Amino acid sequence: MSTALAGSRWIKADLRARKGQAVLTVLTVAGIVAALITAATLLEDGTNPWRSLFAQTDGAHVWLYTDDSPQADLRGIDGVTQVAGPYRSAPVTVVQNGKKDPAALRSMPADQPEVAHPVVAEGRWLDASQPDGVVVERSFATSLRIGLGAPFTVIALSGERHTLYVRGIADSAEQGFYPQWTPGLAYVLPAMLDRIEPMLGRSEWVTGLRLADPDATQVVSQRVVVMLEDQLQRVYTWREVRAAMELDNRLLGTLLALFGVVGLVAAALALANAAGGRVLGQLRDLATLKSLGFTRGQLALLLLVEHGALGLLGVAIGALVGWGVTAAVLGTTSVAPIPVLAIVAGTALVVLAAVGVPAWRGGRTPPIPDVPALPPRGHLSRLARLALLVRLPPALVLGTRDAFTRRVPAFLTAFGLAVPMMMITIGLGVWATLDNFADHPEQVGQHAGLYVRPGKLEPAEAKVIAERDRDVRAVYAGTDVNALAPGEARSVRVRAIGSSTDPYPFPVVEGRMYGRQGEAVAGQGLLDLLGIKIGDRVRLTVGGTPLIVRIVGRTVEPDLDGEVISVGLDSLAAKDSVPPEYYALALRPGADPAEVRGRLLAESGESLDVQAAVNPADRLSVIRVVIVALIAVLMLIGLANLLTASALGLRDHALDLAVLKAMGLTPRQVMATLVTGTGLLVVLGVGAGAAAGMSVVTGLIDLQGHTSGVGAGIGRAPSALTLAGAVAVAVGTALAVALIPARRAARAQVPVTSR
Amino acid sequence: MSTVVKTVNLVKIYQDGAVPVPAVRGVDLQVEPGEFIAIMGPSGSGKSTLIHMLGGLDTRTSGEIWLDGKRADTLSESAWALLRRKKVGFVFQFFNLVANMTVGDNVELPALLAGASPKVARERRESLLGALNLTDRADASPAKLSGGEQQRVALARALANQPSVLLADEPTGNLDSRNTRDVLRLLSEVHKEGQTIVMVTHDARVASLADRVVSLFDGEIVDDGRISRRRTGTAGEVIDLR
Repeated sequence: MSTALAGSRWIKADLRARKGQAVLTVLTVAGIVAALITAATLLEDGTNPWRSLFAQTDGAHVWLYTDDSPQADLRGIDGVTQVAGPYRSAPVTVVQNGKKDPAALRSMPADQPEVAHPVVAEGRWLDASQPDGVVVERSFATSLRIGLGAPFTVIALSGERHTLYVRGIADSAEQGFYPQWTPGLAYVLPAMLDRIEPMLGRSEWVTGLRLADPDATQVVSQRVVVMLEDQLQRVYTWREVRAAMELDNRLLGTLLALFGVVGLVAAALALANAAGGRVLGQLRDLATLKSLGFTRGQLALLLLVEHGALGLLGVAIGALVGWGVTAAVLGTTSVAPIPVLAIVAGTALVVLAAVGVPAWRGGRTPPIPDVPALPPRGHLSRLARLALLVRLPPALVLGTRDAFTRRVPAFLTAFGLAVPMMMITIGLGVWATLDNFADHPEQVGQHAGLYVRPGKLEPAEAKVIAERDRDVRAVYAGTDVNALAPGEARSVRVRAIGSSTDPYPFPVVEGRMYGRQGEAVAGQGLLDLLGIKIGDRVRLTVGGTPLIVRIVGRTVEPDLDGEVISVGLDSLAAKDSVPPEYYALALRPGADPAEVRGRLLAESGESLDVQAAVNPADRLSVIRVVIVALIAVLMLIGLANLLTASALGLRDHALDLAVLKAMGLTPRQVMATLVTGTGLLVVLGVGAGAAAGMSVVTGLIDLQGHTSGVGAGIGRAPSALTLAGAVAVAVGTALAVALIPARRAARAQVPVTSR
Repeated sequence: MSTVVKTVNLVKIYQDGAVPVPAVRGVDLQVEPGEFIAIMGPSGSGKSTLIHMLGGLDTRTSGEIWLDGKRADTLSESAWALLRRKKVGFVFQFFNLVANMTVGDNVELPALLAGASPKVARERRESLLGALNLTDRADASPAKLSGGEQQRVALARALANQPSVLLADEPTGNLDSRNTRDVLRLLSEVHKEGQTIVMVTHDARVASLADRVVSLFDGEIVDDGRISRRRTGTAGEVIDLR
């Protein structure tokens, strides 16, 4: 108790004496912990809304789309416990504020089924007393910006318009969110669907199967494929839905986790360095405390509490901020308590371990206060001798010598700056990659800036209108179809566009572009899914027709997790390819897609449906915010290291300063000596960090690209100019920071004796 | 009353590389309650090592140290620390005030450490600083004080727990003559109040203040004699002789 009282006095006094450093420590740790918690929440399945949606809706594990109402006994398949539907579904276009969105109108009874029933979030479910009511899936409603009671105008394939009214907005676990997953989903009563789309041939039937064992999807869907054969259009399982819902979160989470973990290491280093430097600077005070009656253990505990408390405060603030951010962005329910607790406990342990060693060393200070803690005898390092040899100014030579007198702190300083610099370089690389997405969409498979669907017009007419526009460079006819992959029992996207001889310019990064019929290129996701490599043949089934193609190249494929195979339109059977579903328009460089879109709409009398391609960079723009925040935290870490280094350097040389002055060095030269000592380590650390970052950045981004299915070949290192700028800013800031104390020290009247 | 400090054949040998360097070679010393002993000797005679060992700041190589009738040389570093809280006060040549703490906190620290309540510690600090004429400097940082003032604060800190023995290692070594006189006057005053003091100095004039002067040479006691007071003067008068 008595020690605690006395110790707390000392801690308070010491913290008051180094407020700036203390605040920096707290901020650094808080930033890292916040990043880690956000990362964990994003990566944790809990963030993925699929899980709770699936539970709430008693969802089905397998969804199959057929031409007709399936006649086979699906309930009889082993492992299937319940069946939802079949429900009739018709493709329509929703017109909202002049914008057209594809939608699937699903007929559902007024009484909700037991399995795969949408959960009404707002309003009410369909009611026979209001036949013109529609219930819209929530993400679709959000994208359309419609609320309860709003009119919902749909255009059937026949071109007929119908206006429905939104009665409810519901959550569903049967497909991913709009617009990542199209078409959007809306529910109407069967009678209404019959009125909107009387032609049964233009609709399909959707059936959901709930399984006893979620892992049995593979077996069950294969059985379905065999049983339904030609009837079957496509199949997908809960895994695809889950993957679709988590897409962006995962990428962001991975990025944050990478930065967080490396940042934690850097922060631990910075903490250890700061605590160690502080202890080294206080050896005399610590010895005095011991002579007053502090034991070795009490002193170590005192230091552990002081430096640890700062770290723990940072952990607490970081946890609060991280929790606040995730709760604000993703909702309170998404914060999973266990990983957050694990991170808090883990970082707390790291913090205590980082300050534990210096604290223990501080505790072992001999109690005789007058033994001065001299730096190890510095002999001229090779570098300094070299500096002397080339007749550098004496201040620089002395500074060079000083930089390496204490080897371990010198290493810690350089390393402590190298790690943040490396991460900053990687961050800049991610930034450059996003910039590259935006500046060169053709390199990520977005050669075309606009997609035109004929709408009411004849396809040929649409093509003529598009080709006539002055800013359109090329027009590629295309069709997207779903194909069943052998053995996978699930659908993949086949994108048929251009012709085999005049191919759409896909960004082929491996192998070559297809040159004739029967050849195809595919995204990494597809290669991984089917376990094939370039040169292999694949047999797919498109609406019952086999499609056999040889994969001759790999493209960068940002859509659908890379699970896309691209062919020329002529590789597809005529029934699927004529007429083409859309025209992809490659614009002249510098043309504004919005302007061209406006012209095309005007030209066609609003009959064309013109969509601008969504650049992946736009979807990932939140990453830029994250990068800026992370760079700020990393700079704090670097700054913390720097302050320690400069404080330590000053302390070691306090005595030398008087001698240097006595020898005839001007204050300016003394200052130069001190700044050189720190600056050399800074240049070394920053240079090494930038080099390390440059060497791994493209590899890391490509690795992430590979895992996410987009495929390697997207990674871009930051430009030489950006990097040079970053290095210059880092070194410049560092020197400026080192200059202030050095200036003060050089001007101060240093007594020769007192130590 | 029993002996406050007793050493029996105390030896300290520093191991500098392969060469053993004896600093203290078999010192037998007894300090009676209320005594003021000055330990003199040239540089390197082992006087600082001796006084550090008496306070447990340094370990002995062999021999015994008795403090207040209890054997202390066998104590661990931690046990020594606990012992120091109540029984030993230290004053160093370079004052050694904790730089970050105010003068007041520096003086309160030992009292708090010895288990006094914050209120008691504060009262004690006020009376000590008052006696040393430093009341108005209580909230100042030690760096703002002159050397003499700093040493007076250090003295107040050492006396905060009314230790059995006050160990002073060259307390005036870093002071000018005026400050030396002030500090010596204080030492003499506390001595008169019954404080046992062991002081290391190489200044004969400072040593002349003591009751007894022990001379060390090459780690051995070469002379141990009481100063016969020609006149029972005060410290002030002793200084006046200069």
